[in-house]
Amino acid sequence: MNLSLLILLPLLTAVAIIPLKGAKPVRVISLISSSLQLLLAFALLYFYWDERSAGNTATMLFESNYAWYASLHINYHVGVDGISIAMILLTSFVVLAGVLVSWNVEKLSKEFFFLLLFLSVGAYGFFISLDLFTLFFFLEVAVIPKFLLIGIWGSGKKEYSAMKLALMLMAGSALVFVGLIGLYLNTNAGNGQHTFDILQIAQMNIPLSAQKFFFPFAFAGFGIFGALFPFHTWVPDGHSSAPTAASMFLAGISMKLGGYGCLRMATFLMPEAAHQYSWIIIVLASIAILYGAFATMMQTDLKYINAYSSVSHCGFVLLGIGMLTKTAITGAVMQMVSHGLMTALFFAGIGMIYDRTHTRQLSQLGGLLKVMPFISTVFVIAGLCSLGLPGFSGFVAEVTVFMGGWSHEGADNFYRIVTIIACASIVVTAVYILRAVGKAIMGPLASNDHSLLTDAKWNERWAAALLIIGIVAIGIAPFWLNDLVTPATETIVNKISAIVK
Amino acid sequence: MNYSSYIALIPLLPLASFAVLGLFGKKYFKNLSGIIGCLVLLTSTLLSLYAAYHYFFVDGKINGSYQTLIPLKYTWLSFSDSLSIDMGIILDPISVMMLVVVTFVSLMVHIFSLGYMKGEERFGTYYSFLSLFTFSMLGLVVASNIFQIYIFWELVGVSSYLLIGFYYDRPSAVAASKKAFIVTRFADLGFLVGILILGFQSETLDFNTLIQRLTDIHSPQLLAIASTSFLGISLLTWALTLVFIGGAGKSAMFPLHIWLPDAMEGPTPVSALIHAATMVVAGVYLVARLFPVFHINEASLHVVTWVGAVSAFLAAVIACTQTDIKRVLAYSTMSQIGYMMFALGVSGYGGENARLTDAVGQGLGYTASMFHLFTHAFFKSLLFLCAGAVIHIVHSNDMKDMGGLRKLMPITSIAFLIACLAIAGIPPFAGFFSKEEILMAAWQNHPAIYYIGLITSGITAFYMFRLYFSIFWNRTPDSQLTTPLAADRVPPSALAVGQGLPKAQHHSEGTLSMKLPLVILAIGTLLVGFIPFSKFISPDGKPFVSEMHLTFSIVPVAIATIGIFIAYRLYFRRSDRPEKLAAALGGLYNAAYRKFYIDEIYLFITKKIIFNLVGKPAAWIDRNIVDGTMNGIAWTTGRISVLIKGVQSGRVQSYALYFFGGIVVLIIVFLYLWK
Amino acid sequence: MLNDFLYLMNAELLITLIIFILLFLKLSNEEWKNEGLLNFINFLLFINLAAGFFYIPNGNLFGDMFRANELLTFEKNLLNLGTLIISLQSYDWLKNHKHVPEFYMLLLSTLLGMFFMISSNNLLMFYLGLELSTIPLAALSNFDLDKRRSSEAAFKMIMSSAFSSGLLLFGISMLYGATGTLNFTGIKAHLSGNSFQVFSFILLLAGFGFKISAVPFHLWTADVYEGSPVAVTSYFSVISKGAVLFVMVPVFYNVFAPLANSWYNMIFVISVATMIIGNLFALRQQNMKRFLAFSSIAQIGFILVGLSAQSTAGSSSVIFFILIYIFSNLGAFGVISLVSAITGKENMDDYRGFYKTNPVLSWVLAISLFSLAGIPPLAGFFGKFFLLFAGAGKGNYSLIVIAALNMVVSLYYYLKVIKIMFMDANEHPIEKIKAHWQPKIAMAICVGGIIITGIASGAYNYIHSLVK
Repeated sequence: MNLSLLILLPLLTAVAIIPLKGAKPVRVISLISSSLQLLLAFALLYFYWDERSAGNTATMLFESNYAWYASLHINYHVGVDGISIAMILLTSFVVLAGVLVSWNVEKLSKEFFFLLLFLSVGAYGFFISLDLFTLFFFLEVAVIPKFLLIGIWGSGKKEYSAMKLALMLMAGSALVFVGLIGLYLNTNAGNGQHTFDILQIAQMNIPLSAQKFFFPFAFAGFGIFGALFPFHTWVPDGHSSAPTAASMFLAGISMKLGGYGCLRMATFLMPEAAHQYSWIIIVLASIAILYGAFATMMQTDLKYINAYSSVSHCGFVLLGIGMLTKTAITGAVMQMVSHGLMTALFFAGIGMIYDRTHTRQLSQLGGLLKVMPFISTVFVIAGLCSLGLPGFSGFVAEVTVFMGGWSHEGADNFYRIVTIIACASIVVTAVYILRAVGKAIMGPLASNDHSLLTDAKWNERWAAALLIIGIVAIGIAPFWLNDLVTPATETIVNKISAIVK
Repeated sequence: MNYSSYIALIPLLPLASFAVLGLFGKKYFKNLSGIIGCLVLLTSTLLSLYAAYHYFFVDGKINGSYQTLIPLKYTWLSFSDSLSIDMGIILDPISVMMLVVVTFVSLMVHIFSLGYMKGEERFGTYYSFLSLFTFSMLGLVVASNIFQIYIFWELVGVSSYLLIGFYYDRPSAVAASKKAFIVTRFADLGFLVGILILGFQSETLDFNTLIQRLTDIHSPQLLAIASTSFLGISLLTWALTLVFIGGAGKSAMFPLHIWLPDAMEGPTPVSALIHAATMVVAGVYLVARLFPVFHINEASLHVVTWVGAVSAFLAAVIACTQTDIKRVLAYSTMSQIGYMMFALGVSGYGGENARLTDAVGQGLGYTASMFHLFTHAFFKSLLFLCAGAVIHIVHSNDMKDMGGLRKLMPITSIAFLIACLAIAGIPPFAGFFSKEEILMAAWQNHPAIYYIGLITSGITAFYMFRLYFSIFWNRTPDSQLTTPLAADRVPPSALAVGQGLPKAQHHSEGTLSMKLPLVILAIGTLLVGFIPFSKFISPDGKPFVSEMHLTFSIVPVAIATIGIFIAYRLYFRRSDRPEKLAAALGGLYNAAYRKFYIDEIYLFITKKIIFNLVGKPAAWIDRNIVDGTMNGIAWTTGRISVLIKGVQSGRVQSYALYFFGGIVVLIIVFLYLWK
Repeated sequence: MLNDFLYLMNAELLITLIIFILLFLKLSNEEWKNEGLLNFINFLLFINLAAGFFYIPNGNLFGDMFRANELLTFEKNLLNLGTLIISLQSYDWLKNHKHVPEFYMLLLSTLLGMFFMISSNNLLMFYLGLELSTIPLAALSNFDLDKRRSSEAAFKMIMSSAFSSGLLLFGISMLYGATGTLNFTGIKAHLSGNSFQVFSFILLLAGFGFKISAVPFHLWTADVYEGSPVAVTSYFSVISKGAVLFVMVPVFYNVFAPLANSWYNMIFVISVATMIIGNLFALRQQNMKRFLAFSSIAQIGFILVGLSAQSTAGSSSVIFFILIYIFSNLGAFGVISLVSAITGKENMDDYRGFYKTNPVLSWVLAISLFSLAGIPPLAGFFGKFFLLFAGAGKGNYSLIVIAALNMVVSLYYYLKVIKIMFMDANEHPIEKIKAHWQPKIAMAICVGGIIITGIASGAYNYIHSLVK
């Protein structure tokens, strides 16, 4: 199938809603479009299995490659492997849920949905790019809409957070840019020609000195997107000020751009450097995991709680990538998908609560289960998934990372201890999740006027249901995701092991 | 018919009823949910009874020893070629026995709850949670893969969390549920790491292969794991101890027991099911499952023994001082599980090279432990259900509010008496036989443990009868209606039932659905002791005969009787003797009453150390140092731009000066310095 | 001969013709209504633009003093386009102005000067063109005749440009002394790279630096931009800079190729300084024009990075960026000039809540600023990317790192304006502005250009094919 559809569909929708008058048609069209995106993602999955079962073992499927800026060797080159498909599925889920959740956005709803759709264009494009320029292009496409979403529709100190987020992410992509240029100039596609093409670069071996110099740029750059310690500080402010849908996109999709980029560009194209720096990545990631968890324990604002826990959970992604073993990287990808769905669900739940009670402070919440059972259940499910309960996606991903970390070839105690640190986070996570649940959902009602609150509307129910289905589908039957991702990770890991040996 | 055709239904039926009741219970069949739950459970129970019959009497035993069968197994998540999580069903004596216990007790609790939870607004939810728990517990006992057991381990944990916090608007219940989950989660951390070690070293997660590789002296895996050591302790010991920590957490072994008494905040039937009969013995079951491996590693087995013994004794002592009847029962549970643990600890393995004349060699302890688990399930759930019935009437958990109930609720009092006799180890009640075997095993293998067990059994008899007398005697029968209503500790249903005198008498012992389980369990308590357990369950699967030595039994029974007599003197009639005694014991009494201050220690560690010394600093550093740096960069840039604004003075002559200066600088730099 | 003359100088001649037409209009003492007059002039400018695409002359005149080829024609077309856009945008300002024909006469004579400068193949010709393009500008910046600031700007302009021209002339004469010729090809032949030549080159560089307002020769920029009428400011910031850069590329790449190493280092230093200083000053500007002045200084820094590449990629990226820069910067100036012409407001704070009242204008401004900040999918992203990309070709990564970080800083102040327009509340925002069709068309061209030029690679490929 033609992958460009994934970009065109949201793009055309975004353009199409510009002339519309009034909120209703805008919503409806966005809803239709995002549902179509979901269908498209599933169709992609289906065709992928079709190809694979037909014995197509190419690294990338459904490739299409057009010259864009021929004189600069810039091509529009797209294609997917298991990892990208997993990410695309995630994106389509979150987008649809986000549109549903923001059904009742009255203020400037046209602009709102335009930006949401535009953001998804960036995400899809990023996940299917096989050309570094295209990759970078879509990476930056996905930044500015967030600034506007937070700044215009946000709450709290929104301007500050929006500016902070935009600048930090831009700094990230500036680093990526340097890494990208450096990588390009060190490629050699015969007779001194350079190339941006990821697959071609993967075939060459970049000189080690260049790798060692540019890997940090690329990894740290994407790391800022993926909440790499200590560049994670945009996460709490950004999430807490963003409107619900934006938080969902931010944590559900944008932070995944970082992890995916680290994997696809940094690790895949500069394997030797990745191998040499892996210990640094591992240390930073494990710091993020535990320290993020402890910081979460002290938060009193629901969104801050989830934001910090995102720092901790994304630590698992970077940890898995840093471990450079097949299992660990598979786990990292699973964690990306899982965390995307789970945290989106969490933010959706928080948003629903906030819309009704107009507070996110734990001290002003309580006993919501009595008045809004559905929303409370959503909240609890998200919490349980976040603390890694079997049956939900979080457990699968984390356990895979643990297993991959523990069975690292370099079987010395460093990897063991780091893995144990990561494991330890499951306890801390339980503490802060149960604290939040116990305070906000259980216990007596915080105030009497809460007793008049209403439960979820149809759109909120559907949004939550969608995400829960995703979470449970992975949690109960992880093997499909595993089979989807593993071949892709194998190619990456084989390259690394081949070069390192 | 062969197992694979129906065995999976045993766990899956409750899962189905969980899903159905959970999704539609509230809307569609509010009051039907109870019936549905009971019917589903009944089916599972019958199926597992059939399976048990089939396994033990038809095809389980092949040339003289019970086989381990795996009728079903699917790969769930594969990490690598060798390591993968499989979802399977394992059938061996203990798992089959557990199937029966879990389904049966769960069925009893389901029936009892029909009456007990009547009128509860979240009736359907309650039953869906019960089904969820039953499913998880069944999945746990049939797990064929060590990671599968961990998965269901977590699931029973969460269902216990949900059920403890069932009365979610009570802060105490919320706190208790949180505590239970977090303490067990902490233990599970050990379990998880243990699994990682075992799985990685033995290159498999499958129980059979793992046990086979780690018990065969010639296997490379065993050599590797036994020879590599960390901090001077062999990796095998680490792994098993860590796994045991997980078990200790679930089974409320000292010092991880603190959650169990608080867990009594849940509805009483739940306590009967989860916190008496089934979930809390999961730890024992886990050790039994891995017993062959434990057995070849002395050190870890010693840990098991001593933790079990200490818990048994400590809990018994504490139980003597508590006045909340459910807490007393909780501590007695802990104490009895302690028995099971050290029974495993002192057991031998049997097998070919064992001295079959000797009970140790035969692995009597193992058998005894399982036997005690079995009987305990009956009388302890019976005790809890009786307590539930009592609370249902009195609207209070505190034995000070009770007394003289024997007239008002004869069936309950008789059932309670039977259970007390059983737990006190008085023949011919169930507890007697299992406890005798345990003490016998201890005596032959580890006298010190034997004496601890002996004393503990005496204390047990004392506090159980203290409970019995102060509930059913100790006052003139008619006085009980003057008891104050402690409504806050009572389920709403009970309020609905027990209002005013006539109603109270009418419903004196609750509905039939509440009485029936008591009767059944009481009969069970009378009979199950006579099952020749060693014929069915032994560590190596080979049946053996464990003969009773009457001479040996004299001492324990005598001690138990003494305990009962003391209790009789103190509590049969209302008197001030107990207070005198307490005063006499002074500090010791207070220490026991305060549960030896273990809760306070935990509180100190969590609040003072974890929160104030780790959490707060982490949050502070993040806001002020890490984030501060980011903001600092921005601020500095701004400052610089303010500092240099003087250059843009607006005076043309100065501009010209700068212009000229620029040229001069360029000339100097590029003609002299940087040529 | 005459044929060549007509043929090769068609662009210049056309402009001269228009100037004369305007002159006659002025002399004929009947009263023209400004609206009609402006439409007529815009029509002429449109003809002028269109004509540029029909003839693509190629050859040289006056003993190789003046040369014309496809690339030069393209550059002239770009300038024509810019001029047309500016003239359309300044409709609202000019229609109440008493001296419309004079304005255009001066404007077009500067344009003529730039054309000569671009086509020049001889230092003398170049200098003539430069002066012709500079001096009328001083008069233009004084065109808000009743404003003191405007005349002050004119004064500063004339003074500092006189200063720089003096030094430039000095440099030229020394270069003549060094090489004995004024012809570019001849100069190239005689350049050996000795200190004397480098010295004279530095003076030349200063002259260029003044025109494109590179640090430290930039200080006049802010005051002049702020004082001048918006139309003139935008003309300064886009057209005249663009013209000089069009000249700089061949002069640096061809004529001073022998000095390549030394001028690379100079450009390196100057571009770093320009980026940093420009950004730092832009950070805290409150007046929109002043803000754009400094931001355009920073942009020059980026352009110099591309110039430093010394490769076809470099020259084509510079020209491509100027094309994009015309669209982006004029898009921004279009909105500002409209607002200042109708409401007289030029401060950032006046734009609070601008989006509430003028959503379309806000989006135009926002898109232009995003393009200037280099945000995809807008053209500015491609322009910047290619500049730095080309600059990196030399393998000097420190320059790229500095530039990349400066892009982040610059993003801050562009976003600050966006924030003010979209997010800040204001009880008295600028009222709804009813624009005429002329500015609307201008903005439409800009926005269209911003959106298309990058995504569609045609423009760049065309330029690349020309510079090869």
